[in-house]
Amino acid sequence: MSATATERELTMTLDGEAVGFRAGETIYQVAQRTKKSIPTLCYDERLEAFGACRLCVVEVDGVKAPVASCTTKATAGMVVRTDSPIIEKYRKTLLELVVSENREVDVSPLRGFASQEFTTLVDRYGARTGRFKGRQSGTSNKTDDNPFILRDYDLCISCYRCVRVCAEQEGDYAITMMNRGFGTQITTEFNGRLKDSACTFCGQCVQTCPTGALADKKALRAADLPGEIAKTRTICPYCGVGCSVDLLTKGDRLIGVQPAMDGPANQGALCIKGQFAFDFVQHDDRLKKPLVRQPDGSFKETEWDEALDLAAAGFRRSLKEHGRRSIYGIASGRAPHEAAYSMQKFIRAGFGTHYIDNCSRA
Amino acid sequence: MSAHAAPSTADLVARWRDEPAPLLPLLHALHDRDGFLSEDALRAVSQALRIPLADLFGTVTFYHHFSREPGGLNKPRICTGNVCCLHGGNELLAALKSQGATAMPCAGRCDEPVPVLRGHEQLVGTSATSLAAKPTPLPAPNPGGCEECIFESIREPGRATLEGYRRTGGYEALSKAVREMTPTQLLALVTESKLAGRGGAGFPTGVKWQAVADAPGQPKSIVCNADEGEPGCFKDRAIMDYDPHALLEGMALAGFATGAPRGFIYLRYEYPETFRILERAIAEAEKAGLLGVNILGGVFNFTIHLRRGAGAYICGEEGSLLNSLEGKHPFPRNKPPFPVTHGFENLPTAVNNVETLASVPPIVRKGAAWYRGLGRNAHAGTKLISLSGDIQHPGNYEVPIGLPLKTLLHDWAGGPQTGRTIQAVTMAGLSGGFLAGDALDCTLDEPSIRGKGSFLGAGGIIVFDDSRDMVAAAHAAMEFFAHESCGKCFPCRIGTQRLTERLNGEAGPSDLAAWTQEVRDIGTVMRATSACGLGMAAPFVTDSLLKFFPEQVDNYVVSKEPNNR
Ligand SMILES: Cc1cc2nc3c(=O)[nH]c(=O)nc-3n(C[C@H](O)[C@H](O)[C@H](O)COP(=O)(O)O)c2cc1C
Ligand code: SF4
Ligand code: SF4
Ligand code: SF4
Ligand code: FES
Repeated sequence: MSATATERELTMTLDGEAVGFRAGETIYQVAQRTKKSIPTLCYDERLEAFGACRLCVVEVDGVKAPVASCTTKATAGMVVRTDSPIIEKYRKTLLELVVSENREVDVSPLRGFASQEFTTLVDRYGARTGRFKGRQSGTSNKTDDNPFILRDYDLCISCYRCVRVCAEQEGDYAITMMNRGFGTQITTEFNGRLKDSACTFCGQCVQTCPTGALADKKALRAADLPGEIAKTRTICPYCGVGCSVDLLTKGDRLIGVQPAMDGPANQGALCIKGQFAFDFVQHDDRLKKPLVRQPDGSFKETEWDEALDLAAAGFRRSLKEHGRRSIYGIASGRAPHEAAYSMQKFIRAGFGTHYIDNCSRA
Repeated sequence: MSAHAAPSTADLVARWRDEPAPLLPLLHALHDRDGFLSEDALRAVSQALRIPLADLFGTVTFYHHFSREPGGLNKPRICTGNVCCLHGGNELLAALKSQGATAMPCAGRCDEPVPVLRGHEQLVGTSATSLAAKPTPLPAPNPGGCEECIFESIREPGRATLEGYRRTGGYEALSKAVREMTPTQLLALVTESKLAGRGGAGFPTGVKWQAVADAPGQPKSIVCNADEGEPGCFKDRAIMDYDPHALLEGMALAGFATGAPRGFIYLRYEYPETFRILERAIAEAEKAGLLGVNILGGVFNFTIHLRRGAGAYICGEEGSLLNSLEGKHPFPRNKPPFPVTHGFENLPTAVNNVETLASVPPIVRKGAAWYRGLGRNAHAGTKLISLSGDIQHPGNYEVPIGLPLKTLLHDWAGGPQTGRTIQAVTMAGLSGGFLAGDALDCTLDEPSIRGKGSFLGAGGIIVFDDSRDMVAAAHAAMEFFAHESCGKCFPCRIGTQRLTERLNGEAGPSDLAAWTQEVRDIGTVMRATSACGLGMAAPFVTDSLLKFFPEQVDNYVVSKEPNNR
């Protein structure tokens, strides 16, 4: 017997088919593995299941009311239906209710990684029926002028993914839910600004938000730029953790960064630098030619050959007068990997020292 | 320093930080001292109890009665619950507006409206000038001459004191259990008595206790649910005010049976006088060696901690209650696991209602067969009913389970006011919705009332006579559920709001068929998918309104006319 078969020695019935599972798995996890597409809005596989949206309800034989599959453990012999007409009707009604509490359903994908989840489900269930009209929940915070995170709570559906990711993944506990019921409002301590809270601007709340209520202000600057959004998978160059990121581009413009949820080192997490600090790439002040310091302290623009000759002479002089330990290389965190590699080679092979480091050890 | 100087924050922190379940008492101490919860106070609590400040802030804002504005504690809060709004609650609110008055949901004084909370007191009265602190109404002698379990001795003068309690058999049950019985025997006795939970869900008490006794992990806990937040319910208050030792003895017996060395009473905020009575009773019992270590000179230890809520109906739901006690955000917990294995601090816990626990001492003294025999038609035992609204004699009644509803309404409680007829009654406070017409021909037991499409629950019954607008009554009920929805799950958070808007004309279709379809669809999805009993029960209100009062709905939706003026 193969190892996986032993691990999955328990069996249950899912939509008429026998499936194996491990003790401890939830119905939702088993269903995911067997490629069922149970809808969810409050679920983020990195977080403890919460059971708020109730879209994941399924029928279990012998249990009167439907159960939330995300919080219910699978048990041996359980007979489950994930998509009966009644269950699908509940899901549609729930989505119609959620549509009714928001300012809008369609939002720019630049808002965040998960920002299209709600729109996609609403369309899958044809829930734009205009039923259940009434007051809207959540009030956008128009006074928080931080440069990174838009707090557009008119679109908030109180799934608490942001609060949970901040606590469970980032460990910052910067945000919370204020009040209760329909008056629930996501906010910080004393209902203040993010910069006065424990927030580190890691952006994880933005990227898990399923409606775009929390949105990436920097990426949104490119909302009106013509062109399709392209995503390119790469590694954040800032530090040694090696977080996987998707760079968002339109044409040849870098417009934003999103964490890779399947990045082995980061699983959707980034820090403020990896998430938001990319403006230098296309900044007007970015140096495009070498500068040579003049005796009066000012800088003079020059050509590469001259600058490199000058630098090489300086290195040689130091090496000769003070020995190899007088040389210490600090590679720029903003340099690409190839450059970082060349730099350490240059220091180690060129001078015979291990005095080489990186500027950001975050 | 004068002897009356207010305690410093550091003193209060030191007083509470090492106690079990310290958050609520520490917040109350600061709230009582300052009259509100200041930023400084919250920062100190956050540091002392190591609760992230944002979490603490969110949790504090969850509770209705924690004021964040200076002077908040001393501003009047007026009950505008379903019963009080029949008796001038809204008018009183308007009259006290100049004093900064705000509305509060049902405060558990429906037998003597209108309660007003101010500072550390609950006052009652129907006009701004008649407000006065008054003791809870004492239950009238049983009008049916039925033998009682809980109220049997409650009318004895001095019953609330240890001496008075002991005069009529008080603590004999505990003494018998500790000296003559094993926990197993006590568990068997409670199971045989068929006592079932009186807090609403009706779970067999013996089975619950057995599960706690069997579950691994120590220390186990007994948590007395004294949150009594269901509108139209005020029975637990009568027990605690007039017979507090019965509750303490019941808790100690539960501790003995399950092996739990500690107990908590989670008392609703709106009962400040009850808090003082319980505090006194616990001190008396401790002093007499009936609580604490080596109870009655034996090896059994049991300590009771009194904790106060801060205004949240959902904190009566056991998972939410446990989170509240633990100082967490009071959302209900996902079940399973259940509290019997994963309760207070994730350890085995019996959560029981006041009435359930207070029934145990007489059962131990008089036997399981005696208790079972108190019911009618093969139903075991008695149930307290809190009766209020348009009825001649509102109050608490202990009825044999199985008593006809109409006997209670007409023979025991005097029927409606002269010249009026009973149009409808609620069941389970508000959670069971309305019964009317032929459905009033039922008996007070779960099978009979479930057969009519409702449930008995905690036993609150509110009467509406033929002068009342049932759409308005349904609106007030739904507004309560919307106000108290915790906001965790989508169907209830949005559904209670949408139903409220449809019952007050704020939103919703003006076409009757479309209106009805929306209301039914919302109700169906709430009942089927809500995460806890609040959201599952709330649609009983709209469903029963549509079932019993289609003409009133029609009149309201189509002609926009009030009913029964
Ligand atoms: C919304 C809601 C509110 C509740 N409020 C109370 C309450 O105030 N008092 C109470 O004893 N039980 C209340 N319950 C029931 C408790 O969850 C629990 O079933 C009960 O305390 C168990 O005690 P028992 O078995 O002795 O009845 C409530 C349940 C729900 C869903
Ligand atoms: S940006 Fe990061 S730290 Fe700040 S609130 Fe969001 S998750 Fe928390
Ligand atoms: S802001 Fe977004 S992630 Fe946070 S609760 Fe609202 S919808 Fe969910
Ligand atoms: S049903 Fe209502 S009260 Fe219960 S968990 Fe859901 S939102 Fe909270
Ligand atoms: S995913 Fe299951 S309730 Fe939200």
